Amino acid sequence: MLALTYDVGNIWLDALLGLLAVVALMTLSTFMLIWLERKISARIQMRLGPMRVGPYGLLQTIADAVKLMGKEDLRPKTADRWVFELAPFAVFVPTFAAFVAIPFTRDWAVAFLDLGLFYVVAATGLSFVGFLMAGWASDNKYALLGGMRAAAQLISYEVPMVVTLVAVAMIAGSLNLSEIVLFQNRVPLFVWQPLGFFIFIVAALAELERQPFDIPTAESEVVGGPFIEYSGIRWSMFFLASYTGLMIYSLLGALVFLGGWEWPLGSAAGLWLQLILIFVKTSLFIAFFMWVRFALVRLRIDQLMSYCWKVLIPLAFLQVFLNGFVLVYGWPDGFLLLTSGAGLALAMYIIYRAVDTEPRKLRMVPARGGASSAQPATVDATGSE
Amino acid sequence: MIGIFKSMYITFATMLRKPVTIEYPAKHRDVPQRDRAFPILLWDKDVDEPFCTGCHACERACPVECMTVTMKDNPLHADGKSDRRKIVDEFWIDYGRCMRCNICVEVCNFEAIAMNNTWAGHELSTFDRNDLVLDLQQLLAQHKQGKIDEWVAE
Amino acid sequence: MVQERGPDTVDINVNMGPQHPSTHGVFRMVLTIDGERVIDVEPHIGYMHRGAEKLSENMDYRAAIGYQDRTDYLAQFLTEQAYCMAVEKLLELEVPERSEYIRVILCELNRVTSHLMFLGAFGIDLGYFGTSFTYGFRERERLQDIFEEVTGERMMYGYFRPGGLAWDVPDNFVQMIRDVLPHTRQGLKDLDMLMTQNEIVAARTKGIGAMNLEDSINWGLSGPMLRAAGSDWDLRKDKPYSIYDRFDYDIPVGSHGDVFDRYLVRLEEAYQSLRIVEQALDQLPDGPIMPEKMPRRLRGPDAEVYAAVEGPRGEYGIYIVSKGGDKAYRLKIRAPSFCNLAALRDMTVGNYVADAVAILGSIDIVLCDVDR
Repeated sequence: MLALTYDVGNIWLDALLGLLAVVALMTLSTFMLIWLERKISARIQMRLGPMRVGPYGLLQTIADAVKLMGKEDLRPKTADRWVFELAPFAVFVPTFAAFVAIPFTRDWAVAFLDLGLFYVVAATGLSFVGFLMAGWASDNKYALLGGMRAAAQLISYEVPMVVTLVAVAMIAGSLNLSEIVLFQNRVPLFVWQPLGFFIFIVAALAELERQPFDIPTAESEVVGGPFIEYSGIRWSMFFLASYTGLMIYSLLGALVFLGGWEWPLGSAAGLWLQLILIFVKTSLFIAFFMWVRFALVRLRIDQLMSYCWKVLIPLAFLQVFLNGFVLVYGWPDGFLLLTSGAGLALAMYIIYRAVDTEPRKLRMVPARGGASSAQPATVDATGSE
Repeated sequence: MIGIFKSMYITFATMLRKPVTIEYPAKHRDVPQRDRAFPILLWDKDVDEPFCTGCHACERACPVECMTVTMKDNPLHADGKSDRRKIVDEFWIDYGRCMRCNICVEVCNFEAIAMNNTWAGHELSTFDRNDLVLDLQQLLAQHKQGKIDEWVAE
Repeated sequence: MVQERGPDTVDINVNMGPQHPSTHGVFRMVLTIDGERVIDVEPHIGYMHRGAEKLSENMDYRAAIGYQDRTDYLAQFLTEQAYCMAVEKLLELEVPERSEYIRVILCELNRVTSHLMFLGAFGIDLGYFGTSFTYGFRERERLQDIFEEVTGERMMYGYFRPGGLAWDVPDNFVQMIRDVLPHTRQGLKDLDMLMTQNEIVAARTKGIGAMNLEDSINWGLSGPMLRAAGSDWDLRKDKPYSIYDRFDYDIPVGSHGDVFDRYLVRLEEAYQSLRIVEQALDQLPDGPIMPEKMPRRLRGPDAEVYAAVEGPRGEYGIYIVSKGGDKAYRLKIRAPSFCNLAALRDMTVGNYVADAVAILGSIDIVLCDVDR
């Protein structure tokens, strides 16, 4: 692996090396993530998953990539040419740019930015433009619906994401990702900010357009949404961007909430231990995101929006205020856990109450006269069973 | 949230179970003896000729009209080797039309036709649909070579 | 029920289907949408029309069985049952006990496979990425293995004959089914765990596409669609055919008539079918499978008959007009999917696009059954 901050003296050469490292990492991790997702989904669904290409199908993604590159790059005749062709880049470049500012270990990053957290969130937040462009330019109604959904969803969920990260930055006292990690060398932040952690996960799921928030690309409704007219290499760029996004949010979660390379070993950990720590923590996030994808159904667009604006954003601001009080009055840290935990309980209660959870009882009409002895196996929609 | 956790739990539980699928073209599951692929003709090994006499019973009963049969005088009968006076001359079955209803097997008076119950009878994709029209020799080949353990309902 | 609209919005037509992942075949809906709201639906059917009725009129009573399988291809045994019952009524054939039991067992298992298919596909319509589908299919395959052991086919069985069955079941038939039933229960339970209590499923399905009892009856709905709305109409109970009056089982009846109730009713019906199967397996007698005095060629009198079974989608009926001879003069199929689909517009208008998909999924149409 490349030492990402290796200084060769020439600024251009340095930039080129950093770029190469990021591209290599992105591509490799995407290949592995796609393979992993296919395997996890297969195991959840009791299938085998890819098995043919390479041992346990490890090379399947490469085979797919070769296939995609060989495909014709189609463009609908009525499409808006330049917007259509530039849309994949508008999705791809921001995710790509965000990768630059993410540190992997204490010494490894393409660039250590003082405003790292701010930069990462800002850069990833730009990708909605690409979805909107793709949706608009395809001249397809499904794509238009999907593009509009994507824009609405990504902008909305940017707000709770940013606010909850602001809350974290308040506690850590810095926007520099390295310093945030350093702050957590004894206790990771998800202990002090359970509500923030929860909001972060939900907002990340929405930003990544994964179940239960895959509304813009909903397969059974808008058939891939903005991507519907794309094929071959352009489509694979969207795909690459989405998996890179998964990687970025997982890394961000590992850094900001799970203590990155510091917790639980503290500053004593060597380079390899740091790498292993960050790898394990990122993998936890990735596995969780993939698991959720196959366990939950999709929300509807209005439910999605009202959930964001009526639940997540107020709760995220609540978190900020709580942190503010604790910091200003210098209350003990335990208070943070207490208040934020209460907020989390509130969030879960709201989800529970938001829908009609009244148990539905089926009336069982016995056939052939006599009363039936057997209890129905599914009477209760939300009861004990 | 209870229901969401339940969904998460059940997906995790199934992740730990054994996969139920097999790698199909590499491995085949056993087909039951009654398996019905496409009809084939049977070969009378004692006399070394087809059982089929070309009586047109199956052709008439076929709902999709996928069969064509012609009949001829049996040369072996003239030699006294066979007690079949007439025998099938040509026999075509269009597997592209056949709907595998088993009716030809039921109407056959000589038990000369049976449904293929091997994997060879299922994996028949071709590039040209004309290749799916099988002639007498192709229809007889599998049973002639003893590759089939046919099952005919009594 | 046109929604209130702002001054300068334009409604767009979205053509859902015939090639669309959630139309369950080649069904086409032209949705007029205002933003995400559906303000009009125009269903187009007929892409799958093969003339199953006319084809059946052109061949004798035995040969036409193969075409019944191909109308409702998820409940093949039930379509065969309806057809054979009609022909038996026409020819006044007496079906032997053993055949009746085997028919009931296979039909009820077939109902389970059909409902498993519904539960799986319904999950996909709501947004599961294949999980519910594989759960359903996992158990469906086990049942289809049994059907294959018995009939030789996995899909188009062609096993029932007017008067009885084509051939007897294998010796290990009872044991085979008893071995599979726990797996089927497990599969239904998995699906139950996955969906029934899930808050997101509840948010997506409760109160959506609700249709009250009166409208349901007026639209001529039948099967789980009608029972979800609060009626306990079930042909097995109300017009007992075959030997259904010998088993204890319950008819699950919903109260809201919405998408969620339809799901629950079907899930519960699958459990009840397994109960029937268990009772029938206990009582399965020995004996012949065809009547003793079976005519070699089936020739009908001048008569008209109607026979209907309670299929997984509703009342599946066969109406035969015979003018003598070995063919039906006219054969009409009362297809439940077709009748249930008629109510689509009433249920969909005013909901969101995503709901339209869920509602269509909850009707559980089989396009071959709709178009015939």
